[in-house]
Amino acid sequence: MQRDKFFKEIENLNHPNEKLIKTHCSYCGMQCGMNLRVNTQTNKIIGVEPRYDWPVTVGKMCPKGVTAYQQTNHKDRLLKPLIRDDASLKGTAEGFREASWDEAYDLIAKKFKELQTEYGKDSLSVFSGVSMTNEKCYLTGKFARVALGTRYIDYNGRFCMSSAAGGFLRSFGVDRGSTLPWTDIHETDCLFIAGSNTAECHPTSMFRIWNVQERGGYIIVVDPRETPIARRADLHLDLQPGTDLALANGIVNQLIEMGYIDEEFINKHTNGFEETNELVKDFTPEYTSMLTGVAPEKIIRAAEIYGKAPNAVVMFARGVEQQHKGVDNVSAYTNMALVTGKIGRPKAGVATFTGQGNGQGGREHGQKSDLLPGYRKITNPKHVEEVCSVWGITPEEMPQPGVSAYEMIELMEQKTIRGLYLLCSNPAVSAPNQNFVRKAFKALDFMVCSDFYLSESAEFADVILPAVTWSEDEGTVTNIEGRIIKINKAQEPVGESKPDWQIQVELAERLGRGKYFSHLKTARDVADEFRLATKGGYADYYGATWDKIDKQDGVFWPCKDEKDEGTPHMFLDKKFYHPDGKAKICALPYRPPAEEPCEKYPLRLTTGRVVYHYLSGNQTRRIPFLHDMCPEPYVEIHPDTALTYNMEHEERVRLFTRRGEAIYKVKLTEAIRKDTVFVPYHFGHEDSINLLTIAALDPISRMPEFKACAAQLEKVELKKVQ
Amino acid sequence: MKKRLYLELENCIGCRSCLAACTQCGGHEERNRNYVYDVNPLVNRQTMPLMCLHCENPACARSCPAQAIQIHETGAVLSALVEKCIGCQNCTIACPYGIPKFDHEQNLMYKCDLCIDRTKDGISPMCASVCPSNTLQWLTDEEIDNKKKQFNLDNGKWVTSMPYLEGETNVKVNLPGILQGITKLF
Ligand code: SF4
Ligand code: SF4
Ligand code: SF4
Repeated sequence: MQRDKFFKEIENLNHPNEKLIKTHCSYCGMQCGMNLRVNTQTNKIIGVEPRYDWPVTVGKMCPKGVTAYQQTNHKDRLLKPLIRDDASLKGTAEGFREASWDEAYDLIAKKFKELQTEYGKDSLSVFSGVSMTNEKCYLTGKFARVALGTRYIDYNGRFCMSSAAGGFLRSFGVDRGSTLPWTDIHETDCLFIAGSNTAECHPTSMFRIWNVQERGGYIIVVDPRETPIARRADLHLDLQPGTDLALANGIVNQLIEMGYIDEEFINKHTNGFEETNELVKDFTPEYTSMLTGVAPEKIIRAAEIYGKAPNAVVMFARGVEQQHKGVDNVSAYTNMALVTGKIGRPKAGVATFTGQGNGQGGREHGQKSDLLPGYRKITNPKHVEEVCSVWGITPEEMPQPGVSAYEMIELMEQKTIRGLYLLCSNPAVSAPNQNFVRKAFKALDFMVCSDFYLSESAEFADVILPAVTWSEDEGTVTNIEGRIIKINKAQEPVGESKPDWQIQVELAERLGRGKYFSHLKTARDVADEFRLATKGGYADYYGATWDKIDKQDGVFWPCKDEKDEGTPHMFLDKKFYHPDGKAKICALPYRPPAEEPCEKYPLRLTTGRVVYHYLSGNQTRRIPFLHDMCPEPYVEIHPDTALTYNMEHEERVRLFTRRGEAIYKVKLTEAIRKDTVFVPYHFGHEDSINLLTIAALDPISRMPEFKACAAQLEKVELKKVQ
Repeated sequence: MKKRLYLELENCIGCRSCLAACTQCGGHEERNRNYVYDVNPLVNRQTMPLMCLHCENPACARSCPAQAIQIHETGAVLSALVEKCIGCQNCTIACPYGIPKFDHEQNLMYKCDLCIDRTKDGISPMCASVCPSNTLQWLTDEEIDNKKKQFNLDNGKWVTSMPYLEGETNVKVNLPGILQGITKLF
């Protein structure tokens, strides 16, 4: 299925005394296929072998994927539960002692009960992540609502994918990150890619992307930096950070102006064109240029190429989504596809580059403050009833919706939330406005952290539970395309570590809620209950059995029953998921970034990734090859800008905003706007750029504006640095 | 069918996955034998890999006084034989592309062996297997001929080996600029 011209029959190299376990990478949404090499005498993972037969990535991997296996038997693995009795040491890695699981569980159950007795059910919170299987994501939602009975659960997708989700829900009535399979990408005629440093963040998309140009098609890239993909693009729209909405409106203006719209499609399959047409009238190339800093000719040319292309795909990523108008940006770029009708057929559509491995699946099944499995709403009584019948609780027992990730942290600081169970996330690096966040974590009465390394966030915990890596458990994840795939177990858990689903079952038993959890004895048990819980929701996974996933090389949701082969292409029948079956073209007034440059803070600060690291860096900073390639953060500055500050390449300088400061090495490059500086966000403690970023949240997705705030640079005295 | 390593330098995105992959090859002792250069780091993000081209008449092997650098029947120019290498470093100086590396601790030369444990059986080398951008590919001669036809030769950017390189090579190289000859679809 879906084997294309890049697919080649290549045998794997089999070393003596080794077996190969088929699986996928632990990191980004590409979920590249890989084989883990396992020594059959020690039963340990010892290496990696390409998985040539995986149709999406045909053996390709970025350096993170190649070295991912080194996480499993790493010297930093947590082997036993850790307890810290001296709360004054919070925020450091000091004072932990090894404990048995029994002692750790007893302590957690006692503290959780005390807090809930004294301050109510909602004094506890769960902060989770989506770099784990659907089964774990599902159970985490159930654990919060059924075992703890708290309304406060949310997850790190609020710092990642939530704006894409919000935008797609508004435009299409459904949130599947890509409307088409990745095996279509190289066959389209124009890729319009906004706010995605694809070559570094989703590298294994690149062979398909370059192929568009090889075939004579076009690549248009929107980015304040000349990233590797922007360097080779046919057109690079070098906008100011945080001005995407104006640019998108400007391009739609030109699409209408130049007559590239598809009136029949608009009339039959969409709402909202008239208001949008009215609104974008103001966004002439000149006006758009004034707002975005992109030359008017480039805006016109972009519309012309996209408009002319027989097939085109609009793609975007965190660059447009991590803004306080991220949802509007997503809907505004999606408008391009809707006014031209370039959607709902092969080789044309809209896609976001999913950040985390299970960024798609993990947001669908109830880790979000207001969602339940199958993308059901906790505010919809019918949805609540459906899920209650699977969970065996009454609708009255279902907690109310909670608040978003960053808002939970605010409630910690206000002491509304007093206890935290953190898993699969490292918000002490990844959340914005770190000085506040770290204060909030310190203010907690009791914190449990589950991880396989002692992360910066674990340093705030009272109890740390050793979890397994992805290679020591099995389950499904949903990749960048919306394809449900299978992660396989290659090795027994290291030390006393356990998968998070097992930890939750055992903790639920300690909390006296065993009757809702004790039947879940294996990952497959969780998978079966999970599929059932999604049945009838619009993210329906019921038919996506592990056997089918294996046989078909993955299953695209929705997949309703045994016979259903899944849905690689969305909207082929031109039916969208709003009640009237139409998509929504959105009229979206422009708003500038929450914090604009001023005399005191004249620069625009933007943040992002490098190819060698993943998210907060808790995993990749420990891998020798990746560490050597990028051991520390830096600030990218245009040489002309550096000149005005009298700063040199590799000099250490102070970068600061209204919220915080940090010292970084200067990296001079002409491949960035003169008014913009860039810092990668993978580093902790005093190196974290999130000490400086702003917590201005999107009104719908509650996504913080990581991608744009006002900053200033200053030279530092040498002695201050030392 | 015989396959060759083929480089399309235009594609490189600088991810250095080829370096990571090289460390994973059996017998490589976790040390990579290839290079990736930032072409003009203060100006832009252009990068390119520098790989052993497995010359048909390799200067490294010719310069070796101890016959430590053997040529495999597939044409791969192997890493120095540990028992023969005398650590003179002639090869590192002789190679026009600066490929052989030197281990000062063990006083031994080491270089790309085209993943001989894989390529002797026709399996793609590690670097070309993983390269996300198709800068490094493992192709049959027929596929390489098709590449030649696909990219317009008149722009002078197509290089199989001569006249830009020192001599004929088993690895085929295609310089940046190949896209200039492409006819756009619309
Ligand atoms: S990090 Fe992403 S692109 Fe890199 S190997 Fe893993 S899944 Fe593939
Ligand atoms: S793996 Fe490919 S794209 Fe990455 S640096 Fe090497 S040659 Fe370039
Ligand atoms: S062919 Fe093998 S030995 Fe040579 S550079 Fe590539 S990975 Fe390294």
